[in-house]
Amino acid sequence: MFQQERYIITNTPYTESFDFDEIEEFITKADKNLFISYKFKHSDKILVQPRGGFPTYDKVFKLYEEFVNAGVDVLPLTIDSNTRLNDYEMAKKMLILSEESDENMLNGYPLVTHGYRTTRKMVTHYNTPISLRHGTPDARLLIEVALASGIFEIEGGPITYLLPYSKNFPLDKAFLYWKYVERLCAKYSKLNEPINRESFGPLSATLQPPAIVIVIQLLEMLLSLEEGVKSFSVSFSQTGSISQDIISSNVIKRLARKYADKFGHNDASIHLVYHQWMGAFPRNKEFSDALINTSTVIASMVRADKIITKTRDEAFGIPTPEVNASAVRNTQYTLNILKGIPNISDEEEEENLTTMVEDILEAVFNDPADTLWRQIFNSIKKGIIDIPFSPHIINAGEAITVRDKNYNIRFYKRGNIPINNKCLAYERSKIDLGGRSLVENIIHDIGIML
Amino acid sequence: MRVVTGVVGNDIHVVANRLIEISLKERGFEVFNLGVNTYLEEFIDAVIETDANLLLISSLNGEAEGWSRDLLFLKQRFDLDGVLFAIGGNLSVGEASQEDIVPKYKAYGYDLVFHQIDLNEGLDKIEETLKLREERQ
Repeated sequence: MFQQERYIITNTPYTESFDFDEIEEFITKADKNLFISYKFKHSDKILVQPRGGFPTYDKVFKLYEEFVNAGVDVLPLTIDSNTRLNDYEMAKKMLILSEESDENMLNGYPLVTHGYRTTRKMVTHYNTPISLRHGTPDARLLIEVALASGIFEIEGGPITYLLPYSKNFPLDKAFLYWKYVERLCAKYSKLNEPINRESFGPLSATLQPPAIVIVIQLLEMLLSLEEGVKSFSVSFSQTGSISQDIISSNVIKRLARKYADKFGHNDASIHLVYHQWMGAFPRNKEFSDALINTSTVIASMVRADKIITKTRDEAFGIPTPEVNASAVRNTQYTLNILKGIPNISDEEEEENLTTMVEDILEAVFNDPADTLWRQIFNSIKKGIIDIPFSPHIINAGEAITVRDKNYNIRFYKRGNIPINNKCLAYERSKIDLGGRSLVENIIHDIGIML
Repeated sequence: MRVVTGVVGNDIHVVANRLIEISLKERGFEVFNLGVNTYLEEFIDAVIETDANLLLISSLNGEAEGWSRDLLFLKQRFDLDGVLFAIGGNLSVGEASQEDIVPKYKAYGYDLVFHQIDLNEGLDKIEETLKLREERQ
């Protein structure tokens, strides 16, 4: 059945023909250095990965050269928005225009259009793990091409690539399309080192409460592992409070292992990815450098396995390869000089966060539906899982968060999220609106790094 | 008071939309938020369906003008005399002054036009206008 579906998905006018036997042979014999799962196992440093992608092969090739010279650990491949929406016709047209002129007519690399035979040449040339960054609800064809190209880390998931990015793509369909992706990753994981799947913790990157971020990370992890994936990264982005980042990290690491084991996935390895600040960046580039530096320090403190970098040009648009590589250099340097980071924990805060996460998870698991994805689907529909600032119509948007005086993100209103009264009282006890209206507080809290 | 709100056109800027919703609720409105990427016809349908007193359209990417051209036609088609029509946000793609923008949008059929005006200032004005209308009736 699955193989039949694969024939249908890969047989399109927009792709060259798929030679499945050849692809399996390629993955079986692929160099271990292409697998981030292998690198996680054999490296004792935080892996550094930027973001980036251009329309043409030559520009990506050049970008990778800059990154490698800057000491990158993991290369990115960011996909253009047409491909993300499965509009391969438009991606092809814009790629031709980009190749004819020097203009970038796409905001990323149209991987499906380039195809796996071409892209694989670049991947094997650099012999460095590549992480696929996209935002695609229906990524079935894209992931077929990515894995055949030698791209062995796939970011995303049915929740994290939908709620922050789309208004009305049907969530139930997204779950089923991602099930295909998980199965494919699981299938290829048996041939060599495992394919790593990574969830996208930053979500809408605007005042996201750690409890909800962690719940969604754990659920996408479980959805992935239940299809047979053996290597998974949970992630979150800098919250704005150092202590909240450390607490989030302690809790997510503990609970990820706990729930993976509880569901029988003792053999799966789980990693933590930390995103440098994902909110609005300052326009002053010196401030941006300082912010990036601070993020790197926190990544060390939370003992992440990988850090994803930003650049000093974040406020202005897509950075040049040089600027992008300089952020990698900066981050590697900072990581190298950070020694003797203390172990920090905060029992009261960790207990509060753990209780909120486990109460929400319990409500999800108590849904009467017969499969995990349906339980999650129903929970999102009911607002049990609810993220602030989602454009998607299925997201309840009832919960409201603000920062306390230490910039910790706190629940002001829980909406339909099953947070118990004690936890809500604890959260609210930390909030001081300072005589200003709620909205004035929120506007301030969004712009803390400006 | 019932209000229909949302972001018009192919505009996915959700943050301001949520802030408008929260502010309206804080001021005691019953809010029907259609969210981002909403077409003019959808707004009108929702106004009729909810029997709203106010339609508050917002735009951030500046495309609202192109989406407003049918407003007068739609208003005539469905007797919407009792409804206050307001639009706010960033109402032009390039730079433009209040003096140019406000009359243009009033001609499209909006009663109140807020181009790059502070949210609370705009909402104060809306509440004032609604109150005046109520007193007149």
